Amino acid sequence: MTAPAAPDAKLLEVRDLRTYFVGEDGTSRAVDGVGFALPRGRTLCLVGESGCGKSVTALTIMGLVPQPPGKIASGEIVFDGRDLLKLDREAMNDLRGNRVAMIFQEPMTSLNPAFTIGDQIAEVILRHRKIGPREARERAIEMLRRVRIPAPEQRIDEYPHKLSGGMRQRAMIAMALALDPQLLIADEPTTALDVTIQAQILELLRELRAEFGMSLLLITHDLGVVAEVADEVAVMYAGRIVERADAATLFRRPGHPYTIGLLASIPKLTVEQDELPVVEGAVPNPLALPAGCRFHPRCPFADEECRRTDPALAAIAPGHEVACLKAPLERHVL
Amino acid sequence: MVSLSNHEATSAHPILEVAGLVKHFPVRKGVLQRAVGQVRAVDGVDLTLAPGETLALVGESGCGKSTLGRLVLRLIEPTAGSIRFEGQDIRALGDRELRDLRGRMQIIFQDPYASLNPTMTVGDMIAEPLMLHGVGNAAERRRRVAELLGLVGLMPHHARRFPHEFSGGQRQRIGIARALAVEPRLIVADEPVSALDVSIQAQVINLLRDLQRRFGLSYILISHGLAVVKHVADRVAVMYLGKIVEIGDKRSLFAAPRHPYTQALLSAIPIPDPAVKRRRAILQGDVPSPLNPPPGCRFHTRCAFARERCRKEEPLLETAAAGHRVACHFWREVPAMEPIRAGIDADPQLVRLQGFFRSRRRDERDAALASAGART
Ligand SMILES: Nc1ncnc2c1ncn2[C@@H]1O[C@H](COP(=O)(O)OP(=O)(O)OP(=O)(O)O)[C@@H](O)[C@H]1O
Ligand SMILES: Nc1ncnc2c1ncn2[C@@H]1O[C@H](COP(=O)(O)OP(=O)(O)OP(=O)(O)O)[C@@H](O)[C@H]1O
Ligand code: SF4
Ligand SMILES: [Mg+2]
Ligand SMILES: [Mg+2]
Repeated sequence: MTAPAAPDAKLLEVRDLRTYFVGEDGTSRAVDGVGFALPRGRTLCLVGESGCGKSVTALTIMGLVPQPPGKIASGEIVFDGRDLLKLDREAMNDLRGNRVAMIFQEPMTSLNPAFTIGDQIAEVILRHRKIGPREARERAIEMLRRVRIPAPEQRIDEYPHKLSGGMRQRAMIAMALALDPQLLIADEPTTALDVTIQAQILELLRELRAEFGMSLLLITHDLGVVAEVADEVAVMYAGRIVERADAATLFRRPGHPYTIGLLASIPKLTVEQDELPVVEGAVPNPLALPAGCRFHPRCPFADEECRRTDPALAAIAPGHEVACLKAPLERHVL
Repeated sequence: MVSLSNHEATSAHPILEVAGLVKHFPVRKGVLQRAVGQVRAVDGVDLTLAPGETLALVGESGCGKSTLGRLVLRLIEPTAGSIRFEGQDIRALGDRELRDLRGRMQIIFQDPYASLNPTMTVGDMIAEPLMLHGVGNAAERRRRVAELLGLVGLMPHHARRFPHEFSGGQRQRIGIARALAVEPRLIVADEPVSALDVSIQAQVINLLRDLQRRFGLSYILISHGLAVVKHVADRVAVMYLGKIVEIGDKRSLFAAPRHPYTQALLSAIPIPDPAVKRRRAILQGDVPSPLNPPPGCRFHTRCAFARERCRKEEPLLETAAAGHRVACHFWREVPAMEPIRAGIDADPQLVRLQGFFRSRRRDERDAALASAGART
């Protein structure tokens, strides 16, 4: 390890993060008080439905939210002992790609179609390391090999459009890991891929995490993917974390009504069901969030208190936090 | 002739019969737009569908599912093969008859955002197929629109609104209401829930099922979500590079998949249960190009069981069990797949909490369905 090993087991800790977008129709509170911690060498999955603020959370950590219209209204992002929100642009540029790397939701936006994948990987290396182009190319080939791209010596000179979706995603992972980052943020890395290719990429990410000893923040809306890769899980709803737990607990004993409903409503290969349980309604508009608990219009357990009081994340068991006024539910409703 | 399965044999009059269906798309290049090759999108497909039945088409991107669905509705013309709907050869129909037919077959598209006209009110959009088929006068059509909105769990006043005022799930319901307007017999649903939020998918899946039970609709459900398919379908056809490689009753196919590709597909699905332990056969490589599919068995380049014969000779669909056919030379030797079992024991407390999420609007919807049923 080259990094000065902080005694702290947390590589990343996000506290009360708020990222807003100011537009003509009003202020969209895309991320509105998000907090979680990612221990070193572990995988945290951030899971939630479209628009709940997962990508904006990731982009905020990377310092990539356009300002304006974006505005970071509060929070701390403590990475390896330093608050990233306090770093100047140069320090942040140095960190990004180097110690924190990200794979973006749309693969084609992060690969430039005009350059070979080899040039693009080498470029990232040259920007941060004092080595020559020859060495950088060697390293790029090595990276392609490590993401199990066959015949990397030939593939390195290909253009992105010549690669299949799965190969392109491998090339992106190679680029992200080229500088041996401590933290990899992967935003829906397999959503656009077929299931058989998704299985390959998830397997690869698991192996690489062990090989490189990095921490992984994986963003997904797929609870199946969460079950496959997560050590820890944070469930997001309408700009907030509503539940945090280790993966086994989250699936066995979910505590938030949203998590319970979501898990109940997905059809399962392992059980026979006639009618699927349903979470009624839809996710709220971020410009007009409900008062009180943001989930209350869809929640079968909601009462008058839920319409008025906004619940904070609180522990219901060691390492298990839930933002629900009726938690633990079994005591209130059963 | 293919042998009929039990299911097919019992339904004397299938609503749909497809035989030897082929669709090749020419690939053009250069200024002269010369055809330089053929995408063999659908390459010899036979199937039948009984009234009230759901057949699911599954397989990876580009295997020809949407093309097959569009061929069945004659939205595109086949290169070869026959399609019979309610006994009629639809390739032989003239314009007038084709318009009649369109009333009895409808399609629901994947993208609820792109498939609705943004400049029309929801009411006009649902009434459009009624006008096209000359159903009722303006007042009757208005009544029918209100009824259809009720059927899909929306409100009569929604008729005056525009699509952008609705969420994804609501838009998909509008698409379904529109498809139902002219009382079709067959609906092709092309990825009807893939673009929806997870919590909305169940709402739409339940709705499609209720409507089917009520009106005896037949569905061709195109989906890459195998859990959705297991929940909704009666029979499943697995496609690979334009061909059906396995087809069977849902139970038989999920309990004992025979084709190595079906097994790989099933074992690749991430299961929302961290306690599930399974031996995974992760398929290597990518799907080959449909421009130039591999000779012999098209799956041989990725198959763990492939031998010399697979590279030379194309396997035909053979009956492996009642109502279950598979196209693999060596299906008898492919080891049975371990069944996927729940790893988490159903926690009784969790089951009771989940019980609170039974659809609250179920009763209202039942009432709406009952009154609509009484009318027809
Ligand atoms: N640049 C921007 N300007 C204005 N609003 C934005 C911007 N980026 C994101 N938003 C809004 O912030 C909210 C959260 O968006 P975000 O992209 O984080 O969602 P997500 O959870 O990643 O969803 P998905 O699963 O669809 O990717 C949304 O309402 C979105 O419209
Ligand atoms: N109009 C067209 N012209 C040329 N090729 C086409 C056309 N429509 C489809 N294809 C090709 O035919 C093949 C099958 O496409 P199809 O859309 O049926 O696949 P699919 O199984 O529905 O895939 P997906 O899951 O991605 O929707 C693909 O290779 C596709 O590129
Ligand atoms: S606080 Fe109330 S409304 Fe919110 S999730 Fe808990 S019970 Fe439901
Ligand atoms: Mg996103
Ligand atoms: Mg398709």
